[in-house]
Amino acid sequence: MKLWSSFPLHAVRKWWPSNNEWSLLVAIVLAIVFTAIVDTNHTYFFRPMESLRDIARNSAMLGIFSLGAAVVIIAGGIDLSSGSMIALSGTVCSVTMLSLAPTEMMAFKPVGSAVVLIAVLASLLTGFFVGTLHTWLITVVRLPPFIATLATLVGLRSFARAVCESSTAVLTPTKSALINVADPAFKVVRENVWFSVGTFLVLAFLTWLMLSRTVLGRHLKALGGNEQAARLAGIHTENVKWFAYCFGAMTAALAGLFYIANESVAAPVNQGRGHELNAIAAAVVGGCSLSGGVGTVQGTVLGAFFLRVVIDAVSKIIKTGADVYEGLIVGVVVVLAVTFAQGVNGLRQDRRFLPGALGLCTIPVLALLAGSLASMTTGAASGLATGFTAFIALVALRIWESRSHGKRVQVSISG
Amino acid sequence: MSFVFSRSMRTYCLIFLIGFGVTGCNKSNVNPQDKTQRTRKVSQRFIFITNGDDPYFDVLNAGLQAGAEKFALADKGLEVVMEKNNATAQGQIDRLRQLVTQADVAGVAISVIQAENVAIVEEMKRLTEKGVSVITVDGDINQKLFSDGRPYYIGTDNSIAGRLLGTAGRKVLESRGITEGGFIQFTGFTDNDNARARMNGCREAIGKNYSEVDRMADSFDHSRARDNVRSALVNHPDVKALVGIWAYNAPAIAEVVAERGIRDQVSIFTFDAAAQAIEHMANGNIDCMIVQNPFEMGVQTVRLLLAMQEGQDAVLTSMFPDYDQPGGDKFTTGLRLIIPDAWENDEDAPISKKDLESAVSAGTLEVLSLSVFREWLKKYGLSSS
Amino acid sequence: MNKLGEIAVAMKGITKQFPGVVALDCVTLQVRRGEVHAICGENGAGKSTLMKILSGVHQPDAGELEIAGQSVQFHSTRDAENAGVAIIHQELELVEELTVAANVFLGREPRTRFGLLNDAIARRKTEELLGLLEASISPGEMTGGLRVGDQQLVEIAKALSLHASIIVMDEPTSALTDAEAERLERTISTLRQQGCTILYISHKMDEVFRLADRITILRDGCHVCTIDKEGTTTSEVTGWMVGREITEHRFRSQQAIGTCLLEVENLCVASQDSRQSGQLHNVSFRVHAGEVLGIAGLMGAGRTEVLETIFGASPNQWQGRISLGGEPVSFTHPSDACKAGLVMVPEDRKRLGIFANLNVTENISICSLFHAMRNGLLSKQIEEDIVAEPIHQVGIKAPSLTANISELSGGNQQKCIISRWLLTKPRVLLLDDPTRGIDVGAKAELYELIETLCQNGLAVILTSSELPELLTLADRIIVMAEGRVTAEFPRDEADEKKIMAAATLA
Repeated sequence: MKLWSSFPLHAVRKWWPSNNEWSLLVAIVLAIVFTAIVDTNHTYFFRPMESLRDIARNSAMLGIFSLGAAVVIIAGGIDLSSGSMIALSGTVCSVTMLSLAPTEMMAFKPVGSAVVLIAVLASLLTGFFVGTLHTWLITVVRLPPFIATLATLVGLRSFARAVCESSTAVLTPTKSALINVADPAFKVVRENVWFSVGTFLVLAFLTWLMLSRTVLGRHLKALGGNEQAARLAGIHTENVKWFAYCFGAMTAALAGLFYIANESVAAPVNQGRGHELNAIAAAVVGGCSLSGGVGTVQGTVLGAFFLRVVIDAVSKIIKTGADVYEGLIVGVVVVLAVTFAQGVNGLRQDRRFLPGALGLCTIPVLALLAGSLASMTTGAASGLATGFTAFIALVALRIWESRSHGKRVQVSISG
Repeated sequence: MSFVFSRSMRTYCLIFLIGFGVTGCNKSNVNPQDKTQRTRKVSQRFIFITNGDDPYFDVLNAGLQAGAEKFALADKGLEVVMEKNNATAQGQIDRLRQLVTQADVAGVAISVIQAENVAIVEEMKRLTEKGVSVITVDGDINQKLFSDGRPYYIGTDNSIAGRLLGTAGRKVLESRGITEGGFIQFTGFTDNDNARARMNGCREAIGKNYSEVDRMADSFDHSRARDNVRSALVNHPDVKALVGIWAYNAPAIAEVVAERGIRDQVSIFTFDAAAQAIEHMANGNIDCMIVQNPFEMGVQTVRLLLAMQEGQDAVLTSMFPDYDQPGGDKFTTGLRLIIPDAWENDEDAPISKKDLESAVSAGTLEVLSLSVFREWLKKYGLSSS
Repeated sequence: MNKLGEIAVAMKGITKQFPGVVALDCVTLQVRRGEVHAICGENGAGKSTLMKILSGVHQPDAGELEIAGQSVQFHSTRDAENAGVAIIHQELELVEELTVAANVFLGREPRTRFGLLNDAIARRKTEELLGLLEASISPGEMTGGLRVGDQQLVEIAKALSLHASIIVMDEPTSALTDAEAERLERTISTLRQQGCTILYISHKMDEVFRLADRITILRDGCHVCTIDKEGTTTSEVTGWMVGREITEHRFRSQQAIGTCLLEVENLCVASQDSRQSGQLHNVSFRVHAGEVLGIAGLMGAGRTEVLETIFGASPNQWQGRISLGGEPVSFTHPSDACKAGLVMVPEDRKRLGIFANLNVTENISICSLFHAMRNGLLSKQIEEDIVAEPIHQVGIKAPSLTANISELSGGNQQKCIISRWLLTKPRVLLLDDPTRGIDVGAKAELYELIETLCQNGLAVILTSSELPELLTLADRIIVMAEGRVTAEFPRDEADEKKIMAAATLA
């Protein structure tokens, strides 16, 4: 046993993935293999490094603020405003650069590393401010986290846009809803995927360390598990929440910097719109429970990677018009993944899939869904056939279920 | 370890079989419209990336497919497809990145959404380095900043288009006795190259007597387009003219003005002939339209991409005779000014064909009355342009 | 007609398994019509499971169930209700956001001719039932605002509204004060006279022996015996329950009282709530090292509020003086109190104590994490070493150190929480109703633990709803009623009547 107590091995033992994470890993491998085969270009075979680069870059960008989302969820809260924070952070960074070096920015020339550094720090500081605001709203004003971050979801984006337009109105000839970012520092980040991936991995390591090996991390988990008990156990819950929400907002701010590097423009109107849901999905697929107290960094990392692999797979297999189906497939995948991540055993023997009136109504819904999907992808005739078959199958399932259920006879008692 | 057979593992397998079973059938089926392509095994593609989703691009697509037939792409193992973007720069960047990884892309035409976006230009260059032909159509990049971004552009010369609309607008206002006043322009994005060029051209041509009060952007959101018009009328009740820059701005303006019942107080000039806009003009709600020819753009796109692919220098020279001179890398498709039928033969009408003689004789402009235009549309089976 | 003495309920050879544990092993039970039949056993003996099978919550893996001689199978609680079986659960199943009347008729709401809800009838019937139970609750009150004791009465009213002929009560008095429990006993007599059969799960021996006609004892999922009350004694029954004789410990025989560690003078709290129960008026007392101070009182008397205020866990402003070890203190946060050596084990361990997402070690070490660090980071090894000591000292039985705390029994969970605080080496220990919901064996162990702690010089304040417990453990007992201290008794002067009198005096 002495061997186990030495730090590195101990760390490995702690890090050893749980069942859910193994399943995610296997699912990722399966998805990659499946795509490699089914894709008619066999892109994964012939151009593996490029595909890996793209997936890695996208996973890193998603993963950075998924870690923030995960920490907030583990602490028992929720942050719906990550997407808008990304927009605000990008705007703050570019506005700072614009105000410190207006001529260079407008001429698409380098602004100098000092200016870039100040701008980056300003963005991160904005993240800190937003996190503080969230904590204040939640602990002092007593707003539920859902409401507080819903307000900032809409408010921050609008604020960012206002900042962008008023700054450009003053500093440039025309008012504009976007600011171009052409500094070589950002170009380097855009072109070398190692910047974003490296940042992500370092951040993931630090987050893991914090969650599993520090007092603060333990307090976070306790807070998420039972807030009242945490307070009674002597934990300063307001401070722990402050950390969690600031971490969430600052990781989103950091992600925002990568977003503007990637797009070479800060466009608060639409940048990152809706992406908070991807981050929350990644965290939850990776095993975080929305009721708090449960979740790991390993799971979140794998969750983000898994989501991006699925999205890339959709693009590779359906070459044109992939985004039409992307939402549907990602939605189905997330539902199934979360169902099994949260350990719901749907195949228990005494549970019916089509109970009562609800089950009866669900039959046509599922049949229609299957039929319409099939007809959109393979043609009207086979679509009709698929829908019809699904309907028959579901009706048969329903009959079988009610028969075996009914075998347990109910007896009414007479006086 | 027994995890190999664990339930969650099995269900993950199930997830993918279900999910991709549905879509895996769809390997080579691209677009229900392109059934003609299925007869021959397709090995390469030309891709057209739009900036957003609008019926305007459906017309362009019709042109693409007509061009595909005309130049017999199928026989060469090629097909042309249109990918509709989601009105964001990131969407175009992601699409370009995806295309880089795919081996069957022969040529890409793109209507760039933000003219100064460095990332988009870089992705275009990456594609070019891979040997893919890349051109801009309908929306160009900023040539001053990125002179080596793309070899050719097909589309409307938007500055000229803007100026023509401005001229027409001025004539309409003058004929109504309005010698000065404000006008407001409405578009999707103010940073888009074609939008900017049109708006600037319009402002120049309409003259110093009229002031541009505002430019309002709606980000491709049709309901916001209407809200913008409403706000404009509330904030500037004495505005004299409303100018629509993108196709869906026209019906937005016409509807709101009709809703307010102030048709007699404002003049309306718009770009592009969306189906509803044509109706509005027939009902007298729009004064005049400058219409592009996206159908022709589509046909020429296919011609150019094929020529680039096969190194047909003759075609290239004939399309771009003045290539070495500034502006010689642009192939402009025609413009039309559509006027209401009532003005056709009326001597006192605000605009008559005589007024724009010079442009007409240069071949850049055709002046058509609405019914003639409608017949042209019917001939090609289009409902808008 | 049904004759008295007929078998109302017969359960034959009932077996039930859950993953990893056999809850019931071929259990047989026969209950006669019109009798009060007590079912006794430690936690984990299977009493609740057996009753849940009778009331339709679970289905048995094997065995038969007969109601009035007819073989039945219940697939849901509805089936059981239709057969005339109603169960009053130990864990209350009320919807806090609905009124009392709504809860009583939940799922069976009376309707008007047009199919709309008939609130008037529901209200009237609820009033009748509550009157029968001698409860002074209004049918229109929000259930969430009631004290636990009143909520339990609402549950009983609900069961009564079902016109059940067989009523199962699962530890019904666990959250009731003595007065309320007496009221319940009168109700049970009334029900009995009306011909109901009552199954009564309890491990309060005095209640069992007062109420029951016959007693069935279960141990480890097996049926031990069924016996007439007349033919047995308390210690025999508890002996059967535990499998060994429990000798009455003489606690507090050695009293080495030291210096005054905690002194509270004229503590006044004006509560922000609309409820009166949060207020305290001039509460004063002292506790010395090695002493157990018991605080008695009815629900709502203010016992928990006193403890929370001292501990710094109450949001309310207070006036007065609190001195710890002679020095005046004013704690605004539990961590301050902990650092000064004053700790509290809260009332409802599920809601206020346990971290269900953490394992046993993590639950115990949560207050002492800074001692488990090496090189600036937490070390699992040191944590487990630290935690081993109280686990051994307090006697916690857990499958492993890394088992989730929800796998432990109630008694062991409570021990974990106590251990959590013991690790901080406190001087004063506040225990708020620590033995609630804990079986006899574990209770005895807790009493011994408290005894040991006092011998080591700790000062202990103990609140309890069970007067016998206070009389066993406390050196002095103060009685609270409506936020005031109404009486104080040293151990040898105290008896149940006097305490009750002081507790019910307004």
